[in-house]
Amino acid sequence: MNKEQVKKLLLGALGLIALLYVYFSFFLGPLNKSRNALQAKVKDLQTKISTSKTEISKATKLEETAHSATVRYDGLRALSPDGAPIAWFPPRMRTFLTSHQIDKGTTRLETNSDFKEKELADWSRYLWIIDLPQADYESLGNAITQLENTNPLLSIKKLRIHAATEDPEMQKVVFTAATIIYKK
Amino acid sequence: MPLQLNLLHEEILQQRQRQRDPLKLSLYAAIGLGALLILNYLWTGYRVLESKSRLNSIQAEWGKIEPKVTEAQKRSDELNGIISTTNALDGYIENRFYWAPLLEKVAHCVTPNIQITALEGIVEDDKGLVTVTLDGVAGGREPRGVAEDFRQMLLEQVGKEQPTVKVEFKTLEDLDTTVAVGGNNVTTAHFVVTVGMEPFPKAATPAPTEHKSRPKKEES
Repeated sequence: MNKEQVKKLLLGALGLIALLYVYFSFFLGPLNKSRNALQAKVKDLQTKISTSKTEISKATKLEETAHSATVRYDGLRALSPDGAPIAWFPPRMRTFLTSHQIDKGTTRLETNSDFKEKELADWSRYLWIIDLPQADYESLGNAITQLENTNPLLSIKKLRIHAATEDPEMQKVVFTAATIIYKK
Repeated sequence: MPLQLNLLHEEILQQRQRQRDPLKLSLYAAIGLGALLILNYLWTGYRVLESKSRLNSIQAEWGKIEPKVTEAQKRSDELNGIISTTNALDGYIENRFYWAPLLEKVAHCVTPNIQITALEGIVEDDKGLVTVTLDGVAGGREPRGVAEDFRQMLLEQVGKEQPTVKVEFKTLEDLDTTVAVGGNNVTTAHFVVTVGMEPFPKAATPAPTEHKSRPKKEES
């Protein structure tokens, strides 16, 4: 090889290096980068789809298992009529007590408060004082029995029965009932 | 062997030199390499297009699934909320104290020579305790004995369902007054009995059961 040829070869080698650099940096590199990004997106979406399918199947199973809880929840919610409790609870109690031969009963609201538990955020606790100036023990017992059995969200917290001085057959009764009422 | 004379020796040498020209050879090599690079580029491009097409089909599938999964998640949250709320409410319902059976038992224990003048009961939710105070008068030859019989009977009756019950005298004192019981005048004693029980011990979680209070029998 003569000098001229060596020079041309060196030049050619340099050109080749430049060509390879341009090829890998500006042509193949971005293309591979784009492909990798696409593949990452595909992988991500495939994971999401797989997780979603599992979640959908879980939700379907949950729907089946939660059926009884849903029915019970609806039943408990139906125990709270529309409107402010102060508007419907005292008349309801009066009617109930009258049906048990207990007249002149008065119901007044003592306090109401929200629950601390987050699962009961839609429910409130009401404390009522039910004052019965005249009630005989048997009627009272029957009334309390029915009250406890038909109102699962009601519980009696305090009960005071005193003999009425004017009529030995009658007692003066005051009880505090706590009710759990759905906020509407 | 015949003698051969190469008269074109120089020309042939030049031709051979031209054929072995490294520049020319490297040019061929460069063209080959370039062709390979172009093929590789096209192949990679094809794979990019394939990935794009796959991504498009997966995105279309995700587009169909996404609303369903969002709805499923929402429904799951709602159902989990309902389940936990129902469980919490059931906890309250199961831990109610039923007064009617207790009143019935008190009525059973009151004999003709006992008069209950006051009954006060309170449920302490935070401690899980129920305390009942009974204020009354016992009459008889031995009024203190009558009051003690009442206490024991109450302990026995209430203890059937509440093993943790404690029935104790808070006060027991003789009175000066006499009352007529069965046509006889008898002495009296005033007593205050406290009934303490722990219907829902915190250590043991009660299993959910049908807990209904029975209607009170006619008895005074």
